[in-house]
Amino acid sequence: MSDDTRQISRKQFVEELLRYRRGSVSRRHFLGITGLGLATAILGQAVPGLRPRPAFAQDLGDTLNFTTWPNYFDQANLDQFTKDTGVNINVAVFGSNEEMLAKLQAGGTGWDVLVPTNYTISTYKSLDLIEALELAQIPNFIESDHDTRFIGEAKIDGAIYAVPKNWGTTGYVVNTAKVEGEMTTWKQFWDRTRDDLSGLVMVHDYQLTTIGNALKYFGYSFNSIDPGELAEAEKLLIEAKPHLFAINSDYQPAMRAGDAVMSVAWTGDASQLKRDIPEMHYVLGKEGGEIWTDFYAIPKGAQNRPAAYAFINFMLDPAVNAKEVKAHGYPSTDKRTSALLPQEVLSDPILYPAQELLSALEFGAAATLTDPNRAELMARFKSA
Amino acid sequence: MRWYVVAIYVFLYLPIALIVVFSFNAGRYAMDWQGFSTEWYFKAFANPFAMKALRTSLVVALWTAVLATMLGTLAALGLERMQGWPRRAFDALIYVAIMVPGVVIGIATLIAFVTVFDAVNPFLAGLFGDAAPQLAMGLPTIIGAHVLFNLAVVILIVRARFAGLDRSLIEASEDLYATPFGTFRQVVLPMIFPAILASFLLSFTFSFEDFIIAFFVSGPDSTLPIYIFSSIRRGITPEVNAIGTVVLAASLSLLVIAQFLLRDRNARRPAPDKAA
Amino acid sequence: MRQGRRTGTTALLVGPAAAFFLLLLVLPLAVVVIYSFGERGAAGGYSPAFTFDNYLSLATRGQAFLNTLLLAPLGTLLCALVAFPLAYFLAVKTSPRWRTMLLVLIIVPFWASQLLRIYAWLLILGNRGIPSLLDLLGMDGVRLINTRFAVLLGMVYGYLPLMVFPIYVSLEKLDKRLLEASADLGAGAWGTFRQVTLPMSIAGVATGSLLVFILLMGEFIIPALLGGGKVFFIGNALVDLFLQSRNWPFGAAIAVSMVAIMLATIALYMRFMLGRSGLRQQALV
Repeated sequence: MSDDTRQISRKQFVEELLRYRRGSVSRRHFLGITGLGLATAILGQAVPGLRPRPAFAQDLGDTLNFTTWPNYFDQANLDQFTKDTGVNINVAVFGSNEEMLAKLQAGGTGWDVLVPTNYTISTYKSLDLIEALELAQIPNFIESDHDTRFIGEAKIDGAIYAVPKNWGTTGYVVNTAKVEGEMTTWKQFWDRTRDDLSGLVMVHDYQLTTIGNALKYFGYSFNSIDPGELAEAEKLLIEAKPHLFAINSDYQPAMRAGDAVMSVAWTGDASQLKRDIPEMHYVLGKEGGEIWTDFYAIPKGAQNRPAAYAFINFMLDPAVNAKEVKAHGYPSTDKRTSALLPQEVLSDPILYPAQELLSALEFGAAATLTDPNRAELMARFKSA
Repeated sequence: MRWYVVAIYVFLYLPIALIVVFSFNAGRYAMDWQGFSTEWYFKAFANPFAMKALRTSLVVALWTAVLATMLGTLAALGLERMQGWPRRAFDALIYVAIMVPGVVIGIATLIAFVTVFDAVNPFLAGLFGDAAPQLAMGLPTIIGAHVLFNLAVVILIVRARFAGLDRSLIEASEDLYATPFGTFRQVVLPMIFPAILASFLLSFTFSFEDFIIAFFVSGPDSTLPIYIFSSIRRGITPEVNAIGTVVLAASLSLLVIAQFLLRDRNARRPAPDKAA
Repeated sequence: MRQGRRTGTTALLVGPAAAFFLLLLVLPLAVVVIYSFGERGAAGGYSPAFTFDNYLSLATRGQAFLNTLLLAPLGTLLCALVAFPLAYFLAVKTSPRWRTMLLVLIIVPFWASQLLRIYAWLLILGNRGIPSLLDLLGMDGVRLINTRFAVLLGMVYGYLPLMVFPIYVSLEKLDKRLLEASADLGAGAWGTFRQVTLPMSIAGVATGSLLVFILLMGEFIIPALLGGGKVFFIGNALVDLFLQSRNWPFGAAIAVSMVAIMLATIALYMRFMLGRSGLRQQALV
């Protein structure tokens, strides 16, 4: 802005103004010098050749467009990367993998790094939306240091399409200061939503977890695409809808403000909430639910590929990654990162739930992402 | 009655007061007052993406206002000379353009752009190989959709003014052997100028404030409303309030300047009237 | 000869705008109509077909249509009711010295980002805003946010200025002497209002209502922010179909239906409100 207004200095402006007031200059002339000067200056910005180019830091460029989920990184780490490389990071936050896919399919996103969840990678690959990673540029990724259970879906036909960011679970968070009784199951979640917690509960704006956890109410698979089972889940969802506070994947603000007292939640949001409000309690439904891994991936045709690789490599540096874990509260898949974490993190039951709870969980299935019935069910639920 | 009016103004300004007050919040969450600070203003101005979004919005709004006003004014003048079915067809287009909601314009132009780009890009690639230029969403697509959205309004505004014109002046000018362009410049233009100015300001404002159309056709370029929408999702900080406050202050100062200029003109005008 | 040049000039004047309308309005709308008969692609998007299924399943978005067709007219009506006294006060009761400033103060909110202003309402209506004040007064557990009330309030707030201006303009033209004459002839305040003021301002009310109604029908952001995903408008259903469930053909069918409904409603409205009084021209510009 300041560059644009400099087209006519303040002194000149005042002189013109005085001349104008004395009447020795027409209003048109005055506007021409002041207003139009500004206008042409701004229009000139649109013509690439006229714009001064900032000096490039190394050959990484000066920009990185990073697309991720809410409350999912340590700002200090991003700042450090900018300080080290001169690359500014533009963070865009999305509510669901479905939304990311829709944007990528429409094309022209301008993204350089995105954070897809395990069940989306095969679809991205088959639609030719992400590139096979050049692992030589990500030396901090050492495959053998990651549990194969968490990274299997990133490997297709021998090539790696995404490297793991962290893993986590999807349960629900309860504000025990306002909710009485012990909560342990999805059945309780949906029953109490329609009962004493009416108007105080949130679910994700996201087919996978919202439909999946409704399916869990009946003991069906989280990933079911069986029409009969989906019909039952839809009935439950439509019944519950008037009792919800909101359908939104960013539930921290409402939970903090007390607008909502219970919400479907991911590991990290639960740990962030508990850090500030000890009464926040994280529940993994006994019936099961979702376990997942999020990855870093690079879309086909990314404009800032060198910066994207540098950024991913930076974030996978165990020291940086450990800081990430401490900030966002999701467990790492990387042994070397976990080795740097303090004992109180490693023994936190939110990050590392008991084995019997974990073994009931399912990874999201790729079929759910593209299944038209689940997509339409979610859309009907929202517009009901 | 007076109290009613006061209540309406409070209603209109309560949210704005909140935005301004919390732009000076030292804490990082909205509505969680941690003390007075101006640091978010410095952060906002140092944030390259916020500034780029602001610049993009200004560029888009200016191009939109210039193009929509120019094309709309020309069309309004041309329409005056048209009769019969072409005129009726054009009128119908204008009304359809006004009645189609922004969200539909956004979606329709998105689909059309994607379809055209998907058809043209392989052709370009075949023609030029790897270095082929690729058509993609960006500033031109936003500007195009915004101009469309404003064009019809501009035509209506200018035409309304033109319809109220005293035709005898134009005839007089023609009788005095002025060229058509001379008549336009010396007679028509000054008379429709207020309408042109109003059109320009309106188009600028609509474009600058638009979220929904840009949301669909912006591609990688964020406009300010898209940036703000993204910030709301990211967890809004006082930085966004600071940007909003700066934009508001800038428009207010422009307004004060305009008011000052107009008053100056009005103050001088009565004198010759009285003398006459 | 002269006629030919005249036609040429006219074509030059109208041509660019016509090209814009054809390329960015007619063509895209035609594509939308074609898409509306297609099928959802395997991974979403569009796949060519000819089917009426999309139109047949419109009923699944019944609630969104209902919300829109209920709240948009209601919002328009509330806007008009709130705006009229204000416009009347500004046009008739305010001294010219204050008038300009008060008028300007009505437009100013437009320049503070609409998104931010609506977001501010989210805070005002949220648990820590008005409900916590009501709590102090002993009214416990009042919920305002994510309700139809919140959406309606946001709509009136967002579009009030667009309603005030046309009404103000029509009232300002009102000759004060008419009011005096009416009073002199023994009409009461109410009589004067009903016989003189109201008929004179109908054109302004009609223009403002049309403007606000059109914008409200396509509203997305206010229900999205103040409705919490619970009060869905057609605009939200559309965005959802394009940016979440990726069913472009169905979205196209909804868009086509929406435009059809708007054209029908507005045609009806014009005939009803304005047809008789011959105000059509006046109201539209």
